[in-house]
Amino acid sequence: MSFAHTHAGGYVELLLADPTVTLLASDPGTHPEGELRGRAFADALGVGYVDSYEELLAWKPDAVIVTSENAHHREHVELAAAAGAHVLCEKPLATTLEDGKAMLAATEAAGVMLMVAFPVRFASTFLKLKADYDNGLLGQVITVRGSNNGKLPVARSWFTDPALSGGGALVDHVVHIADLLEGLMGAAPVSVTAITNQKLHADRAQAETAGLVTITYDNGVIAAIDCSWSRPESAPTWGGVKMTVAGTNGTVDLDFFGPRARGLDTASGRPIELPYGPNFDASLVGTFLDGVRSGIPPQPDGAVGLRTLRIVLAAQESASTGGTVTIVED
Amino acid sequence: MTTSPLKIGLIGAGGISNSHLPHLLALGAEVYVYSEEGAPDLVARYGGTVVDTLEELLDLVDYVDVATPTFTHFGLVKRALEAGKDVISEKPLARTDAEASELVALAASTGRSLYPAHVVRFFPEYVRLYEAVKSGVLGDLAVLRFSRSGAFPTRTPWFADRALSGGIIMDQMIHDIDIARWVAGEVTRVSAISTRAGTPEAPVEAAHVLLTHASGAISHIAGLWGPAHVVFTTEYSVTGTLGSLEHSSAAEKNYVANLAATTAQGGLLPDVDPAENPYFVEIREFTAAFAGGPAPRVTDRDGAEAVRLANAALTSLETGQPVDLTETGK
Repeated sequence: MSFAHTHAGGYVELLLADPTVTLLASDPGTHPEGELRGRAFADALGVGYVDSYEELLAWKPDAVIVTSENAHHREHVELAAAAGAHVLCEKPLATTLEDGKAMLAATEAAGVMLMVAFPVRFASTFLKLKADYDNGLLGQVITVRGSNNGKLPVARSWFTDPALSGGGALVDHVVHIADLLEGLMGAAPVSVTAITNQKLHADRAQAETAGLVTITYDNGVIAAIDCSWSRPESAPTWGGVKMTVAGTNGTVDLDFFGPRARGLDTASGRPIELPYGPNFDASLVGTFLDGVRSGIPPQPDGAVGLRTLRIVLAAQESASTGGTVTIVED
Repeated sequence: MTTSPLKIGLIGAGGISNSHLPHLLALGAEVYVYSEEGAPDLVARYGGTVVDTLEELLDLVDYVDVATPTFTHFGLVKRALEAGKDVISEKPLARTDAEASELVALAASTGRSLYPAHVVRFFPEYVRLYEAVKSGVLGDLAVLRFSRSGAFPTRTPWFADRALSGGIIMDQMIHDIDIARWVAGEVTRVSAISTRAGTPEAPVEAAHVLLTHASGAISHIAGLWGPAHVVFTTEYSVTGTLGSLEHSSAAEKNYVANLAATTAQGGLLPDVDPAENPYFVEIREFTAAFAGGPAPRVTDRDGAEAVRLANAALTSLETGQPVDLTETGK
């Protein structure tokens, strides 16, 4: 449902390559000028297309992937759940706590699974970290620092429209590392402090473009996340996700999108960077499909989506009030 | 250099004195060492003359280098200034804001020089950052990250006593607090979270500090005192409206050995190039200033301000809320 999120194209390509899956897409409505959306985008990808969500859901899909604007996730997840389809929802889960809770309630009432698209936890480097953590090789973990820096998203204008995206860099980039910590430790966030500004991309910014967030967890771990859109549009690659985890037995540094071949363009002297490594989205989609086939709810689920959303909302509140915000889970 | 050697009194014979005494001697200074313990061993290692009392030391010398535990800086620096000496003080300048302010005022009223040894300002990678920022090549700074990791200093017990040392924030992270202020300007808001684990014999400690600068720039400072085997590493990543600059000590290595027998790098001090040792450059700049040379790149006011920011972070740890420095006033 919807081609609003740029990840939609990637999911379509992965699913079209899977002979056990039949796929149909819909992206109704009027779309921003200059953005390849709707039937034209479906044709470009070679995927079957219908003009409305009614037609799409009348097709009785086993599962639905929601890749609409963040603020529309609730509406579309509720539609899919009502049609009895399991749901993979693009991150963040929602833009308000009320929406997030409603989505969990709707999928639960319909007896369908809700998974949230956090691809980085499917990286083999994360699985290695998780194994080392579970085997006690890190000892007692005490601190984490992570950065998820990228370009200002320009391929789709809604990313920088707070009414549709739910904010700026905080809502876009805090959740990935928050999800990794959830997947690693399963601890509850206790307090959140955030500072932000709009100095980068100031001409386009309608919300924060740089943000630094600190989080305390109920297991005593402290964490810091840089979520800034601090990569220039001219950068050779989109950005990346890095994380350092330290415990009583030592540290582990992860650079999830780090490995690349490097060179220089002779004419301009600009770097040539060619990243390589597995596509985490393939494992993400595969895990979702396994869940749909087996009936065993896959992780990260809606509850993870809600917990990471609480961190984002607390960070937004902290940035606006200047205070540290306590998270109360209900 | 001057023709007649500077007569300098070094107070303290602990860890950092090993990074001061040889450089003082290399610069041709006549060095007298007073310490409650360890002075004969230190002098046997590098040279100089042991003196048995502080009174004797102050009678013999024109300048004093205070390289003692944090909680003793105030009393010793005060004594030296009152005795009419120019003083180098190991960082932090003092443990409390009031003490630091008093020392700055005393230096002014006695007309003596007081230089806090914020040695990171003399590390070439941080000099490059400062120069890049000042040249304008990075534009208006938006978001800065600093990280410093090493082994918990367990060689003497006072580091582990937060009342005496101020913990990792006052002892280790004050370096990057000073650098953040050096490159991004005065700070208006400070928040911090911290954690500690391990055993009394093998403690670990970590903290995250967030700074909001008067310019609107935001900084994150991460500090780790890890287990004994953790190699000393530093990182920074600074992004402005026109460009970015980052450095990782682990990545920028010009000598990587894979030998059967090797000399492992320790976890307490950074690896430095002996041909341009930052501690030497620092001591050279301070002693040259004593001899009538140009003012050093770091002043007593910088040292006092770093103490004030570190103490604001410690206050934030206690209150669980950010500290607004514009309200408390300067």
